Amino acid sequence: MYILQVIINGIMLGSVYALLGLGMSLILGIVKLTNLAHGELIILGAYCSVFLTSRLGINPFATLLITVPLMFIFGYLLQRLLINHAMKRGAEAALLVTFGVSVILKDGMLLLFTADARHISSELGSSSVNAAGMDISLLSIILSIISVGAIILLMVFLNRTYTGRAIRAAADDPRAAELSGINVAKTFSAAMGIAGAAAGIAGFCVSMKWTFYPDSGGHYLLIAFVVAVLGGLGDIRGTLAAGFIFGLIQVIGGANYGMLISYIFLIIMLVTNPKIAHAADDLSAR
Amino acid sequence: MSDVIFEIADLSVKYGEFIAVSDVSMSIPKGSIVSVLGTNGSGKTTLMNTAAGLCAPFLGEIRFMGEDITGISPDMIVERGISLVPQGGRCFNRMSVLDNLMAGSFVKRARGNAKRSLDRVFELFPVLYEKRHLPAGSLSGGQRQMAAIGRSLMSEPQLMLFDELSLGLAPVVIKDIYAAIKRISSEEGTTVILVEQDTARAMQMSDYTYIMLKGSVVLEGASSELSAEEVRKAYFGSR
Amino acid sequence: MDIGMKKNKGVIKLCVYTAIFLICLLSGFGGVLSNNLMRYLFKIFLYITLGEMWNLMSGFAGMTSLGQQAFIGLAGYSVAVMTTVYKLNFYFGIGVGAVVGVLGAALLAVLLLHIGGMYFSIATWVAAEALGTFFSGWKYVGQGAGMNITISPYPKMSELYILALILCAASLGVTYLLLRSDTGLGLTAMRDDISAAASLGVNIEKNKFIVYLTAAFFTSLAGAVFFINKGTIYPDSGFDISWTISMVFIVIIGGAGTMEGPVIGSVIYVLLYEYLAHFPGWSNIILGLISILVILFMPKGIAGFLRNFRK
Repeated sequence: MYILQVIINGIMLGSVYALLGLGMSLILGIVKLTNLAHGELIILGAYCSVFLTSRLGINPFATLLITVPLMFIFGYLLQRLLINHAMKRGAEAALLVTFGVSVILKDGMLLLFTADARHISSELGSSSVNAAGMDISLLSIILSIISVGAIILLMVFLNRTYTGRAIRAAADDPRAAELSGINVAKTFSAAMGIAGAAAGIAGFCVSMKWTFYPDSGGHYLLIAFVVAVLGGLGDIRGTLAAGFIFGLIQVIGGANYGMLISYIFLIIMLVTNPKIAHAADDLSAR
Repeated sequence: MSDVIFEIADLSVKYGEFIAVSDVSMSIPKGSIVSVLGTNGSGKTTLMNTAAGLCAPFLGEIRFMGEDITGISPDMIVERGISLVPQGGRCFNRMSVLDNLMAGSFVKRARGNAKRSLDRVFELFPVLYEKRHLPAGSLSGGQRQMAAIGRSLMSEPQLMLFDELSLGLAPVVIKDIYAAIKRISSEEGTTVILVEQDTARAMQMSDYTYIMLKGSVVLEGASSELSAEEVRKAYFGSR
Repeated sequence: MDIGMKKNKGVIKLCVYTAIFLICLLSGFGGVLSNNLMRYLFKIFLYITLGEMWNLMSGFAGMTSLGQQAFIGLAGYSVAVMTTVYKLNFYFGIGVGAVVGVLGAALLAVLLLHIGGMYFSIATWVAAEALGTFFSGWKYVGQGAGMNITISPYPKMSELYILALILCAASLGVTYLLLRSDTGLGLTAMRDDISAAASLGVNIEKNKFIVYLTAAFFTSLAGAVFFINKGTIYPDSGFDISWTISMVFIVIIGGAGTMEGPVIGSVIYVLLYEYLAHFPGWSNIILGLISILVILFMPKGIAGFLRNFRK
């Protein structure tokens, strides 16, 4: 029974981790960029939900309807106005620009929202479902459903819509995509918009599940990166699987050792993964 | 000439200090098949890339259906009805054949007819229908070229540019692909520009021929009226 | 310009730099400078050291590390343990810090150096985070609460100032010599085109190793001196990404890939930071904005701008 409980907890935690890594993975796979501001995007989404709940009294789940579009627009504009231009100066310049954005966002949020810990408390947190002798938190179940739902939605979007196909085409061969009538700069912006929206949903989950601070972004960026690399850079299904594995490691390892294990795991992945060495060559060749 | 669909006027393209295309003029009648021949480095690929919006010209003008399209971005050029099938096809290797084709109908103008265009592509290249769910990267060179032509057709172009279609393909496959292009030209009235190194086959199929050398047009004329000797001399630049 | 004149100009430059160094050194000994001024210069010197080292890696060798805080933390803790636990002289602590830093770098180099591009950036950062997480759980170094660095008698500001000055001069000298050596020429080739450099017979692995260890050595020394001045260390301050953020700002604003860039950048960084202290919370935002603008519009930073201007 104990093992089953661990697995269920791990998977539920893991689905949220997968969501944390979703936008990161998308941008790594499509724009071929490590977005160092991804963690701050998540926290921005979290503040958005907290603000709407505490100031305007909106139901936490309903805040998604506002947070997600706002975060999409934010991501889209970030890519359109800034990162697309930086990418013309090379992969390194783009990386450092996202680093600058992360610092600006972090300190901007600190100014705007103060250093206080934030959290959306909901009665769901204390309710639990009883099944087969296990207590499963209702909140965790709902957040898992939201996470997995968002991931499936994105998969369908990428596979079934014109914009989705254009995003994949631009990732595969930007020049051939242009020759097919796809505006790559706009497509990349749309991808960053989606990554922003995904970060917004992830931020909502963070605000419901944990407490966070303006400088929590770094922590979530690293989780996102572990999941994205483990999942195979841009592979959405892989991201989900990676989230589950990572969730299990956290549940088994506990808070501190769990993170340490994941960091070491990630370094091993980076050292041994030939796809990454190859991806790095691709980047320097652009 | 009222039925000229595509016109290049005094076009020059530079890469830094290097002049890749120098003062080229062409005028392509609607519905015709025109071949542009030349050796490696004669500037014909640069000319096509410029027509497709991938390079910006240094001087000169490109007109399509009477409108100046010089310096317009590649995606807008596809929207206007010009489609370039690049060297080697450049399929989206990680996407399925079907998704490759569907990506071709991304432009708003073509979306409404996507279903019909798709049937047409599968009719022209039945092998693509058989392999529609496989990743394009798993296809043979000839099939990839077919998928690229199919992708280009999906955008319902008025003018199709083919860059070195036959490069690296077996003669049998080339024959099939050329036959398909002939059908596209005669059945849809699409204007075709074939850029080739292989002079004989391209000239046999085309109505008019331009021969380029070191960035300039050195010979032009109706394909049937140019003598083999004339072509050979112009092609290699011997006097 | 013929070689003789060039050589002459080089000698004159060397004389000027030596004179500046001696003036700074003597004014430190002579007690001419106010404590406040020395504190500014102390910071500027250390940031120049950190900046030059990050620049050596990113600007010259194309290795953009986001994990230099690993060495600062290691060195800071080494000083803390040597002085507070073993009651040893703090110079000894600085030495141990450098040794630990370089050993750590050698170990990390084996793992990380063949990771390319942006993945190297992330890997170095993750390694530093992992170290920080490890130190937060390590009882011997006080876990999350960290350690005090107790030195008695506590060094005077002038002593720290002179230490920072010598460190800064040494880092500039070593960078200069390294860039003029075969390694340096190989580095520039590496940054511009890594596969071409490999085909030219540049030993990339060796060059990267030398650069990484040199950077770790000086970064550790600077980190040790910083923490002696701070007097206390804990995981979140030792292994703080802010260390690398400051290096990035300094190099980008000053001019990546130039020797004078980090010097210019450090002066601007320290002064701007002091000035912006009047507007709490704004300093990183403003420095971040400046950095982004510099990346987009002045890719070689202020140093590059001045060079163009002179031409």
